[in-house]
Amino acid sequence: MIVKRKSIEQALARALASGGDFAEIFLECRRISSIGLEAGRIEKVHSGLDQGAGIRLLAGDSSIYVYTNDISPSGLLKAATDANMALKQKLTDVRLPALTEEGPAQKQPHNNVIEIDQVVELLTKADAEARSVGDEIKQVLVRYRSSDQRVQIANSLGKMVTDSRSRTTLIIHIVAAKGDIVQTGYESLGSCNDNAIFTEDKVLELAVSSAQRASMLLSAKPAPTGRMPVVLAGEAGGTMIHEACGHGLEADIVGKDMSVYAGKSGQRVASELITVIDDPTLPGKYGTYSYDDEGTPAQETVLIDNGILKTYMYDLKWARRQGVESTGNGRRQSFQFSPIPRMSNTYLAPGETAPEEIVASTKRGLLVKRMGGGQVNPTTGDFVFEVAEGYVIENGRPTYPVRGATLTGNGPKVLLAVDMVGTDLGFAIGTCGKDGQGVPVSDAQPTIRIPELVVGGVL
Amino acid sequence: MKNAAVIVKSSLQLADKAGAEATEIYFTQHDSLAIEVRAGKLETSNRSCERGLGIRVIKAGSFGYAFTSDLEQAAIAAAVEMAVQGAKYSSLDTEPGFPQPADYDTALAQFDPGIVETPLEEKLNLALAIEQAALAADHRITMVERAVYEENNSSVLLANSHGLNVKYRLNFCGGYTWVVADDNGGDVQTGSGLSYATQLAQIDPTAIGQEAAQRAVQLLGAKPIKTQKLDLVLPPRVAARFLGILATALTAEAVQKGKSLFAGRLNEEIASPSVTIVDDGSLPGAINTAPTDGEGVPSQRTVLMSNGVLHGFLHNFYTASRAGTVSTSNGVRGSFKSAPEVGPTNMFFSPGEIAEEELIASVDKGLYVFDLMGAHTANPISGDFSLGITGLLIEGGRFTQPVRQVILAGNIQTMLQQVKAVASNLRFYLGFGSPTLLVESLTISGD
Repeated sequence: MIVKRKSIEQALARALASGGDFAEIFLECRRISSIGLEAGRIEKVHSGLDQGAGIRLLAGDSSIYVYTNDISPSGLLKAATDANMALKQKLTDVRLPALTEEGPAQKQPHNNVIEIDQVVELLTKADAEARSVGDEIKQVLVRYRSSDQRVQIANSLGKMVTDSRSRTTLIIHIVAAKGDIVQTGYESLGSCNDNAIFTEDKVLELAVSSAQRASMLLSAKPAPTGRMPVVLAGEAGGTMIHEACGHGLEADIVGKDMSVYAGKSGQRVASELITVIDDPTLPGKYGTYSYDDEGTPAQETVLIDNGILKTYMYDLKWARRQGVESTGNGRRQSFQFSPIPRMSNTYLAPGETAPEEIVASTKRGLLVKRMGGGQVNPTTGDFVFEVAEGYVIENGRPTYPVRGATLTGNGPKVLLAVDMVGTDLGFAIGTCGKDGQGVPVSDAQPTIRIPELVVGGVL
Repeated sequence: MKNAAVIVKSSLQLADKAGAEATEIYFTQHDSLAIEVRAGKLETSNRSCERGLGIRVIKAGSFGYAFTSDLEQAAIAAAVEMAVQGAKYSSLDTEPGFPQPADYDTALAQFDPGIVETPLEEKLNLALAIEQAALAADHRITMVERAVYEENNSSVLLANSHGLNVKYRLNFCGGYTWVVADDNGGDVQTGSGLSYATQLAQIDPTAIGQEAAQRAVQLLGAKPIKTQKLDLVLPPRVAARFLGILATALTAEAVQKGKSLFAGRLNEEIASPSVTIVDDGSLPGAINTAPTDGEGVPSQRTVLMSNGVLHGFLHNFYTASRAGTVSTSNGVRGSFKSAPEVGPTNMFFSPGEIAEEELIASVDKGLYVFDLMGAHTANPISGDFSLGITGLLIEGGRFTQPVRQVILAGNIQTMLQQVKAVASNLRFYLGFGSPTLLVESLTISGD
């Protein structure tokens, strides 16, 4: 526990002293450390401690949020008073149900952090391995970051949850150059409460693959432009499903009638081949948690089942407004932010076609092996994605690599159009941004074929 | 909590005892407010009070950094220890250092008491006025997703063991909105409007609401066009986002690491003669103006590119000593949680002489760009970008048809060379500013 029960009970009662229907306190203590290697040197070793509390008050459809670094009993009371002042009513005495404690059955080992000497050694080896790919590798950046977050969440309904999430990431960024041409390669690895994936073999493998990609792109041709079939390989990760479909299924966007999927529950919104799932309970994934940031237990949620829209992703506020239960998707970047509906680990479930067969049955098109970043307008469903590694398909076979390609289209239309779904499943990690808050997520998909997308490049 | 000045002083002493050869302490207190309305009512109110300490030390030829928002003596001592430990693991090829004390202009501490003193009620009304202006602007505006007023007030205390001691307060405020237009014929489009300023009186809610409404309505019926080369008209909001891509490449850090497309090109003509790019942390009224940068170097104006010729790069104290020059006062800090990096303050394309309307009228076949999607995916090292765009087709100097789902691909350097005209309407969007630019012949991929 970060602070004592009594102090929390007082703050919750104070928050509701001038009215409101629900009060919540989110306490957080986070230790971070990051070690960065660039230009062959360990350049940055940073560490820190951030702690604070966020108090939320719901009154009708309004939501009031106050946060502070001061987690002393008087600091919490002051924040609670600031919250209730927004309602400008007379103060009354409030009695709340006693807090009942919950938490994950299996407590995670707290200091799940790799020793600094080990990290330094790992980064140094990764640097050497990447540079061994060739003289064209001009710059290698490797950054390791760990965040050890303890949270204590309590609300006026009597719930109190304590949890800890230890997240680790490693990114490798390569710059390759030959003559005037400069290209980059990128790989990342991330997990929650599980450091087992950070083996030396895995890190060195990523160092080589990112360096090889940057090197290969130096001789890639400019991407073709225009409409064509696009095969997204499983190893490309699920950015597409996250952007083109996931955001439109978040209950706040739906509830404000800003989503193309609003009012479509029970209807066909995608091809029969499409099943989309959000699951924060997958062990060790970057978007994994046991409880969300409102204290709701994590659960698997089937969003689209064989093309039929089943449900949206809810937090408490939007579940309350719609008269349903939270799906455990109420997340926040930190105590500085009010929780909102967010994805966790989101994936398109594997289908029945062998990935090779999907490529073989495509006469001409673009094979995307690695996705870069993307963005979607959830109201129109229009999206763009960057292709980090792509190949032109000719007569059912991937041929030469291309660079500078971007895909654009409309999410809902693409989901209806997908005509082949592979048996594989590839994950990618990321930090998803929404309303100025970044949260760790992962996404995945099998190899799929989209009969027609606009591919953009330089004429 | 003890007085901040006392905490800073005792932290310097703690670091000295822990074996740091030199120390820099950065303390901030940050109070913010955001009020979001929807359908004529308060949707959310967000208020914060955040403070913390960043500790940077020099030990054995390296920097170490740690931060804490727990300001108890024990937590600060632990952070100091972590910073000193961190320095032992890292290594640099140039002797690190901190700036010496220097006179700075206190008038650059832009603090409008009106922002803090104005009652909450009036700020709520400002947000409501944005929403009303958007709804009133056109009957096809069916929804205002959100209308927001926000403000940031911060106090900074910066000291180092050379005796540097800087103290100032800053604030700014602004509003934005996001609206939906529906033509009842099956097409739905969105638009946004925003404005930020260092004085509350400069925020015009009506203009914010109208701008958003106008954009959304003008896009109704938008469709892709055929793949072709077009002249592009980039209004301030869009051109300013290209500066975001350029800013990284114009830092000495990127240059020294071989990660800038401008490395080794000093004094070369790399852009069209109409392009002048300036960074100015001392620009009155701009959002990022302050007496000093995050290392205590007095703010200044730096011309980076003048009439197409590359003049210089942005430096902090370390990159400057590495390059044998002086800091340009661009040691910027995101918060107490991070060490100073090299970055822009208020960066802008200098305005030209002609009016935006005149510039548009001169275009035979082009695209007036409303919005970019995926700007964060642009590659600051190669300068390549490939972005989703929406906008209005220009034919014979007039807007003819709204466009969506097309991609603009190119290279930032090529684009700079193809800037044909620069309008006079310089406008800032937070830290980046630009007038409307006309760029010749870029590839638009569509059908």
